[in-house]
Amino acid sequence: MIKIIEKIEGEAKLNFNFKENKIDFVDVEFMSTRNIENILKGKRAFDALVINPRVCGICGHAHLMATVQALESCYDNLILSDKAKIIRELTLNFELIQNHFKWFYLTLYPLFGKKQQILKATYPSQLMSKAIAVIGGQYPHTSYAIVGGVACEITEIDLIKVQHYIAQTLKFVEQNLLKVESEVFLKTEDANSLYDGDLTEILDEIKNSELLGYGKSYDRFISFGENSFFKKGKSVKTKVTHNISLVDVKESQITSSFAKNVSFKDKYYEVGPLSRAMINKTPLIIDVHKKYGDSIFSRILARIYEISQLLEHSRGLIKKIDLSQPSYIEPSIDISKLSGSGYSAVEAARGTLIHRVELESGIIKNYEIITPTQWNLSGGTRENHGVSQRAMVGLSDVKIAELVFKSFDVCSVCTTH
Amino acid sequence: MEKKMRILWLSAITCNGNTHSFLNYPHMEQFLDDFEFIYHPVIDSKYSLQEIVSNEIECEVLIIEGAISEEFQRGGVPIFEIIKNYSKRVQKILTVGTCATFGGIFRESDYKDTAGMHFDQDRALHNFSDFLDKTISISGCPIHPEVLVNTLYAIKKSVLLRVDNFLRPKEFYAYTVHNGCTRNEYFEYKVDNHKFGELEGCMFYDHGCQAPFTHGSCNKILWNEVNSKTRAGVPCFGCTEPSFPRDNLFNTKKNMAIPEHLPLGVNKRVYLTLAGITKAFKIDRFQKKILDD
Repeated sequence: MIKIIEKIEGEAKLNFNFKENKIDFVDVEFMSTRNIENILKGKRAFDALVINPRVCGICGHAHLMATVQALESCYDNLILSDKAKIIRELTLNFELIQNHFKWFYLTLYPLFGKKQQILKATYPSQLMSKAIAVIGGQYPHTSYAIVGGVACEITEIDLIKVQHYIAQTLKFVEQNLLKVESEVFLKTEDANSLYDGDLTEILDEIKNSELLGYGKSYDRFISFGENSFFKKGKSVKTKVTHNISLVDVKESQITSSFAKNVSFKDKYYEVGPLSRAMINKTPLIIDVHKKYGDSIFSRILARIYEISQLLEHSRGLIKKIDLSQPSYIEPSIDISKLSGSGYSAVEAARGTLIHRVELESGIIKNYEIITPTQWNLSGGTRENHGVSQRAMVGLSDVKIAELVFKSFDVCSVCTTH
Repeated sequence: MEKKMRILWLSAITCNGNTHSFLNYPHMEQFLDDFEFIYHPVIDSKYSLQEIVSNEIECEVLIIEGAISEEFQRGGVPIFEIIKNYSKRVQKILTVGTCATFGGIFRESDYKDTAGMHFDQDRALHNFSDFLDKTISISGCPIHPEVLVNTLYAIKKSVLLRVDNFLRPKEFYAYTVHNGCTRNEYFEYKVDNHKFGELEGCMFYDHGCQAPFTHGSCNKILWNEVNSKTRAGVPCFGCTEPSFPRDNLFNTKKNMAIPEHLPLGVNKRVYLTLAGITKAFKIDRFQKKILDD
């Protein structure tokens, strides 16, 4: 049975194979590609800062950050000010937050037979977009992160504005999503002692429809993006190791779809907020995982919990900015004279995003992008399922399979870059 | 209650950037009272994609986002066919974003002859020329949400919109992006030592800023109601124009130290004369930081 999954920044085709009324195998197919990697070939390095945000309308900022870091890693001794690093981290946090709101109120709500909450999605995500715009000029599609720092200069007044957007967003979270103070929520360590807001409404829905254990996959998590909040590492069940290398990440072509598979040491891993929280050993998420494993319940809670965490962390980051530092330090070598290769890994809303670049005298010879959805949606074989495939196998209801599929916050445009 | 105007939002070869830029429209509640989507890439709608592409559902406005190619299909139906079917029925067609209007970044995608609906960059195309009269171009990468929404209201209220050669409403595209930039004085007095990471300076001379010859309201309406790229120190990349994306976007191409592309309507001799005069001013406050004593 073939089902078209819509409104995931495009579509995907799921071909369900049943055996004795249970899903036995699911073919995941994406129907188109834009081939950004080809578009980049032969272009000047800096032009990638403008082209790559256009990989995706909802997480383009992560692509900007991945691009600038990949280009910077082509240098031997490039210096960035702490101020520039913090500013970049802030705007990327804001993008993650706006994404999570949209996913929760636009994607998740209808899956439980509820009306999409458009205004609850747009109000807080607009606040986060404004916070990015105060710093980077606009959202979506700014290119304000440049090799050597950021193009902008910010003042105390800009920081006041950004703090207001954060405070207002926190208020929204407390009044709608949680019905409890964010501080209390952040200290919660028991996944069953949640409160009364929109989040609990959805989680209760899962409990009441007996979907609690649904959507489990390999219980293997990975995350490569590192910053002042996220840690690099992998977690197999609850065993966390931080010593992992991008060398072991492989991308491979598959015949049935325009998406490419991604594996680490030939195994499929889940990426995204649940993975990040497992690797960060976040108490609430460790608890929910202990109770319900890598299920849809855990995935939803982890994504929403990340909103509160990132808002809180961003508040702290702002206090660390030393405005007397330079925003931009001109690299010692002009990029047009640079040959070499570089890579980057950043945490986008949906998980680890990897960019690799090869330059010859400042011209892009090769560019490779691995997006988070590729990790989660790798289309495996019957013998070796991809993460989302495995999470759907054994279900009998296609509608529930769609819920499981969308619990990974699928992004079609990213996948088919 | 007045009838809601029905919109079909059709995605072609796109990044969904216009979709998400639209979600930043500040008065969404009001908008949703006045308009409804028979299909939209993220907002729920009455019809599925399959129903949209295999039938002809009643609607008044067709929005196309993304570049188009004969080869590209949506829901198993060639996009050309879907566009033709709905173009016949609707009152107005909006090509939303630079890809749908001129081809944009995805003009270079692997699909055959990828372009905008009526233009391949600045070259007119004829596949859809029957519908030229009912098309309005909302170019930009991405579109400015207020430009899109206010154009939709103009259609709803039957306001006559005057458009330029590329069908863009003059109300928004008769201005240059340069208009209203906080760095204007550095441009006027030809202070040409811009450095990234500073509040001061104009990016036209060295850093590729195309604002003086790009049509748009970025510095008039502002982005996300708060800022613009050029105010933030990011050059204008000319994203509303047929030529987007040009090559070498962070550099100003010059001939004999004169920028190759001059402000709209200004000829080289006049520009040189003007530059000579303005450079004689030597204005102190432009030599130091704007917030310094």
